[in-house]
Amino acid sequence: MNKIWIIIQREYITRVKRKSFIITTLLAPLGFFALIAGSVLISTFSQGRTDVAIVDDSGLFKDISIPDADDQTVYFHKVEDKYEQLATELPKEKNEEKKKYAAIIYIPANFNINSPNNPVIGYRYVERPGMMKKQFINQRMSEAVDKLRMKMLKIDNEVQQQMQNKIQLDFTSLDNQIERKGYTEAAGIAGMVMGFAIYISLFFYGTMIMKGVQEEKTSRIVEVLTSSVKPFQLLMGKIIGVGAVGLTQFILWIVLIFGVNILAGMIFGAALNSHQPAIGSLQTTGMDADDMQLVMKNLSSLPFTQIIIFFPMYFVGGFLLYGSLFAAIGAAIGEDGDQQSLMIPITVPIIISILIAMNVINNPDSALGFWGSIIPFTSPVVMSALLPFRPEWWQIALSLLLLIGGFILTTYIAARIYRVGILMYGKKVTVKEMAHWVFSRN
Amino acid sequence: MSLLSLQHIVKQYGTYLASSDVSFEIPKGKIFGLLGPNGAGKTTLIRMITRILYPDSGNILFNGVHLTDKHTENIGYMPEERGLYKKMKVGEHLIYLGRLKGLTQTQAKENTNYWLKKFEIESWMNKNIEELSKGMSQKVQFIATVLHNPDLLILDEPFSGLDPINSKLIEEEIRAMSKQGKTVIFSTHRMEQVEDICNEIVLVNKGKKILEGEVQELKQRFKENKFRISYIGEINNGLLNNLNVVEQNTGVVTVKFEEEHKGNSLLKLFVEHGMEVTSFNELLPSINEIFIRQVQCN
Repeated sequence: MNKIWIIIQREYITRVKRKSFIITTLLAPLGFFALIAGSVLISTFSQGRTDVAIVDDSGLFKDISIPDADDQTVYFHKVEDKYEQLATELPKEKNEEKKKYAAIIYIPANFNINSPNNPVIGYRYVERPGMMKKQFINQRMSEAVDKLRMKMLKIDNEVQQQMQNKIQLDFTSLDNQIERKGYTEAAGIAGMVMGFAIYISLFFYGTMIMKGVQEEKTSRIVEVLTSSVKPFQLLMGKIIGVGAVGLTQFILWIVLIFGVNILAGMIFGAALNSHQPAIGSLQTTGMDADDMQLVMKNLSSLPFTQIIIFFPMYFVGGFLLYGSLFAAIGAAIGEDGDQQSLMIPITVPIIISILIAMNVINNPDSALGFWGSIIPFTSPVVMSALLPFRPEWWQIALSLLLLIGGFILTTYIAARIYRVGILMYGKKVTVKEMAHWVFSRN
Repeated sequence: MSLLSLQHIVKQYGTYLASSDVSFEIPKGKIFGLLGPNGAGKTTLIRMITRILYPDSGNILFNGVHLTDKHTENIGYMPEERGLYKKMKVGEHLIYLGRLKGLTQTQAKENTNYWLKKFEIESWMNKNIEELSKGMSQKVQFIATVLHNPDLLILDEPFSGLDPINSKLIEEEIRAMSKQGKTVIFSTHRMEQVEDICNEIVLVNKGKKILEGEVQELKQRFKENKFRISYIGEINNGLLNNLNVVEQNTGVVTVKFEEEHKGNSLLKLFVEHGMEVTSFNELLPSINEIFIRQVQCN
């Protein structure tokens, strides 16, 4: 035990003292800051302005308003020019300043409101529109067609306004006072963040363990080490040491990100409020700023006690379960870089877990969610995503019990592979051979 | 009294028999050669002594008791394939390895200072391992092996890749430690290296022990009664008539007798024939020759 502690110290201290650790720890929140700043700047400046000429040969849209984009990215201009003329002139114009329109919306003369897709309204571009712009322009023209239709049906403006008002059901739990409107969304966001944190750290620190083992094998120090300590002590020392590095980095990141966030809020606060770029993507899913505020309010009513107790357990459990397997693969691969395929058996279940987690936040009560949160190979990610949805106590207990069993099993398997692998040189290792090491007597 | 006693050691990897019923004793305070060609099973035997591997059957006794993990703290092992952590400083690396061998932080630090001073490399204390040349890191590896002052030192091909200066340094250290009563196991496939260093040897081949004994005693046991005489002038007629000459060059002749023979009568014969003898010696076989002969016999 004392020797494991010495190994943990070395693994921890040498990593934490490294320049790369200090740089990634400091740069990640800066990267986060750059992401916020960047997305504000991008949405403000670089998205560019697109001017679209509307040639209406049908004459039907003359009195229909087609508003420009709120974020000043797309402007519509109804023009009198002939389509053919514009279409031949636009691509030839080399002078950027004279190139007035980036595209033409062409409404044919025989446009029929009863079958608006036959003949279709065309969008002919010189500059290819991005996905967001394409979606926006399509939506605006559909709205214009709707307005035209209502005008033809002689529905007056007031009724039109009333029809725009969509209803919102009030989703509130009967047996839980805290769960109010917007809770599900808040839980989903929290769940996704936690699931993703475990997912990322499994890969990041798992690879760190693997690299460490590979280094010991390649530099041939391992034979000196194994003459002083048991391979199992070496394995556990490394996993716990790297795990402690991971926790340190995570805590520092949380502190730094909160700090940077406050700073970013102070500097870019105004810009954030007027543009809301990060929330922009949510708008397409039908959430508006009011909904977002509701979600933010609900974050405070998440089951924090459960989360604070169990999230770290799943973090540690998942880390022990996969960490030992990454170490075993590192021992088997050694300096041989082109044997990365041996990693597939451990990367696939991690990727499957995040896929299940993404599904689970939409269907927390599904059978997939249940089994995903019980099976030890997926439970660290899936159960973390489920925690804000208040899973049953027995479900958590069963899941944790299986997780403990799971990591005892994987550590046992990994230790056996590790023991043989670290002293094996100049030989390509196959999965079959690794299985033999696990089951062989000695 | 033997420090280490190997009794009927068997070790098998799959179908490959790396150690087949090997038994020998390693006396205390001696430099012991574990010899054999590449792939003979030397490293497997060492790994079992250092408890990296376990024998399938057989016993290993250390000072008369069963070898346990605790004993590894009394063993210093310098493997053939040796390395260090590149990203650590020389001092902290040595202290780390010392602590893994059971030293306290303070002891490890003291011993590190002692050895760095002894090798006149105190200035390396804060150097990064990756800055060291090959020769320099070999010195550090040797210090790591002896840092915890073990009673048993196991050196697997210690001179491989070593420059002559470091070879000499380490050879002197090996002798010095032996004088202090430490036991040294010296494993190599270069048999000429061990003749003048080792007191006793064991020869292994293909997992089997084929020979053991004291170096000088083995040379006597396997000698072929060959004598070499150097002289000045021409050989007189009839001098070599009744002798079995195995080699003859200008001024040198090698003679072999069928049975044990004292050299005096041969020398006397030459002197009686009025030859001027400049040198006369019995040709003893090298360990290498003994080994080749034994392998062929088996």
